[in-house]
Amino acid sequence: MRTKQEYLIRYREGNLYCELADIWIDPSKPVKKALITHAHFDHFTFGCEEYISTKETAILLKERFGANIKIKTFEYGEEFKINGINISFHPSGHILGSSQIRFIFAEEKWLISGDFKLQKDQTCKQYEIVKTDYLISECTFGLPIFKWDESNKIANDISKWIINSPEKTSLLFCYSLGKAQRLLNEISQTNFKGNIYSHGSIHKMNNSYRELGIDIKDTIKIENKKKIDELKGSLILLPPSLSKGSYLKNFKNIQTAFASGWMSIRALRKRSGYDKGFAISDHADWDGILEVVKKSEAKNVFFHHGDSEALSKYLVEKESINVLLFGK
Amino acid sequence: MSLKKFSELFGDLDSINSTNNKIEVLKNYFLSNDPIDNSWAIYLLTGKSNKRFISGRYLKNLFSQIYEYPQWLIDICYLKVGDSAEVITLLLKNKTNSRKKKLSNISLNELLSETIPALSKLNEEEKNLEIKNLWETLPEDNHLIFNKILTGTFRVGVSIGLITKSISKLINIEEEIISHRLMGDFKPSIDSYEFLINKNINLQELNSKPFPFLLANTIEDKIFKNSINDFQFEWKYDGIRMQLIKRSGNVSLWTRGQELVNESFPELVEKMSHIKDDFVLDGELLVWNFKEQIAFDFSLLQKRINRKSPTRSIQIKYPIIFIAYDLLEINGRDIREIKLENRRIELEKYFSKWQIKTENNISDIFKICDLIFPKDWPDALTYKEKSRENNTEGLIIKKKTSIYSSGRKKGIWWKYKVDPMQLDAVLIYAKGGSGRRAGLYTDYSFALWRNKELIKFASAYSGLTNIEIKELDKWIRKNTIEKFGPVRSLKPEMVFEISFEKIQISKRHKSGIAVRFPRITKWRKDKKINDADSLENAYELMKKKS
Repeated sequence: MRTKQEYLIRYREGNLYCELADIWIDPSKPVKKALITHAHFDHFTFGCEEYISTKETAILLKERFGANIKIKTFEYGEEFKINGINISFHPSGHILGSSQIRFIFAEEKWLISGDFKLQKDQTCKQYEIVKTDYLISECTFGLPIFKWDESNKIANDISKWIINSPEKTSLLFCYSLGKAQRLLNEISQTNFKGNIYSHGSIHKMNNSYRELGIDIKDTIKIENKKKIDELKGSLILLPPSLSKGSYLKNFKNIQTAFASGWMSIRALRKRSGYDKGFAISDHADWDGILEVVKKSEAKNVFFHHGDSEALSKYLVEKESINVLLFGK
Repeated sequence: MSLKKFSELFGDLDSINSTNNKIEVLKNYFLSNDPIDNSWAIYLLTGKSNKRFISGRYLKNLFSQIYEYPQWLIDICYLKVGDSAEVITLLLKNKTNSRKKKLSNISLNELLSETIPALSKLNEEEKNLEIKNLWETLPEDNHLIFNKILTGTFRVGVSIGLITKSISKLINIEEEIISHRLMGDFKPSIDSYEFLINKNINLQELNSKPFPFLLANTIEDKIFKNSINDFQFEWKYDGIRMQLIKRSGNVSLWTRGQELVNESFPELVEKMSHIKDDFVLDGELLVWNFKEQIAFDFSLLQKRINRKSPTRSIQIKYPIIFIAYDLLEINGRDIREIKLENRRIELEKYFSKWQIKTENNISDIFKICDLIFPKDWPDALTYKEKSRENNTEGLIIKKKTSIYSSGRKKGIWWKYKVDPMQLDAVLIYAKGGSGRRAGLYTDYSFALWRNKELIKFASAYSGLTNIEIKELDKWIRKNTIEKFGPVRSLKPEMVFEISFEKIQISKRHKSGIAVRFPRITKWRKDKKINDADSLENAYELMKKKS
């Protein structure tokens, strides 16, 4: 067995790092070279000399963080070499442009899952099964209590929630990149045919998605001074950061909901302070993680992002898969 | 008509915060479902039954056994979810994709009156199989309700008051009547629901039921603006609140939790049945120390509550008393609408009549509550502080002009519980008293430490006994540093425990804080001035309370 330092990819200062290529994956501090799995805030940091990502991720990053960051882009499946290591991006199904990253060196394969989901999502490419020797997987929802319903069922629930309160303005809080667009796409296929508004941050991402060829229903950018009557019976998409402050005072007679995988637990739903929770996630549920672990055929698995205690023990006991721990 | 509808109702009630919307949802539910299912829904929502068919642990073990699921994994999940019924519901999502025909139309009635009770008749193996079968045939949306009913943990954020309101709105009949109809035993049936929604009010029918209880609110500051004479003061006993009812000669004892407890207290039932009049009394049941005329600890009462048909020796060992504080009905006449002060007169009148005219002496098991007569609000506080000595929890303050309405109505009854904030402070000034206390130093100022300096933080003049006042007066005269007119500054030596109700920031005081209703609760002769509290301690109290 090798020591932790001898692994091709390891944890260094809280980030995934490949020493042979001197390259970091989604680093949280400025470095020379950074591979970016997707365009969410918590996977990007300013100040790196060079970023490498998929084309879609690059466009979304520039839209969010400014046009002057230097990003080299590759297509899904296109291999490129750094210090003799073959690297390629593969769809992870999390959001538009999101990717798993595969490393091949001396016939040894490593796969970083990135944030991923297996569920259908018409706003991004479906997760691609990639075979590997070593798998580094996220496990945000690594407990069997997490089992996602079909997204069209959730969308129908949301639609019913709005339609049943025609006197109210329905505020649905969701992440502005990815979740919002997926919800828009799903909700436009339900019975709800009223107006949909979205906050500026979401509106911007909708436009980017559209420019990248994704079919997203047109929404109205919400203005602070909208007449209350006009908003009655309509849906407004807002980022979760606005749920706590004085922003809500702009509206009258509202009902609020949060769209997140955590909402499947009643206690969290109650504590969240929203009227309602819709359990829909862009991460894999328990079965999803297990499926990826099995289908990847990895002999060795690492977990990060989340509490992996149960998942690790389960894989070792039930599936005889070797789960390794990163030295952090 | 189905369990599915009830599951939806539960989901709605669980995710609606507005009371009015909840009422609307309930109303619609009652309108669109069968009387029998409605009656079960009311039964569940009002918490009339929390019978546990199996324990949460049993449920988890069963799941683990059936699906060969590691127990440790269920335990980790439980930590995240905090409810056995919900954990198993969530885990079942992974498990029940069997092709069995779904029991999609089972009614609430069928589930609760047949399916679940039938489980108790099975042996363990059969029972486990049947639960598995139900898990696999009930639609997924119903699992949570099913598991919660099984484990007796069905609870939702709906009060009896809310149910009362929605039925009241449904049929346009006053809440008071609905609330009364909901009292006591509620056996789910078509009849019980029809009775509930009957538009004809027949007072005769309510005869077997206790009245809805009037509940006290926590005291509010504004009450102190009123004249003390507007209120009746009673001790707040820590017993079982009860209505003692004698109608058509039959005595019944109803707890606030709407349980009939005649069997636990047969000696009271027996004694009261000798009284000639019919009545409804509101009061408290206690285990009573007849020698000292105070209540024994609640723990002794617990020895009586759950024991049916107690033996004679138990009755002697834990002697009970019913302390009546209100008369609600007398010889069939409902007097809840007359003023409290007049009801009290009636109560006293009948009590003395019963004492004289009843064959068996009733005073060894029944009395009416003593009233307290504080002169002013600080005096009321002093009484409250003393409540610890007679094993009461504080005071109940009742508006003399109030009628006996139902529920926790504002502005009628208040509870004033003893639970003050306290600091140990050093006596630094004294001032001569007035009136009855003239000639004695009875007004005191107390200080707390700030670094090495004593800073005045409160003045108080009540709480010491007359003997203590005299003793302290003597000491003050001997230990005066300086005189400023009627005020003397004193050698810092004496420590007192000061209690108060509220603490807040004040720019007017040097200490930076102001306290409300400060009073002396103990002369801490055991403490040296260095043991007294600091202002920092006071700030901490403030933080804790805010």
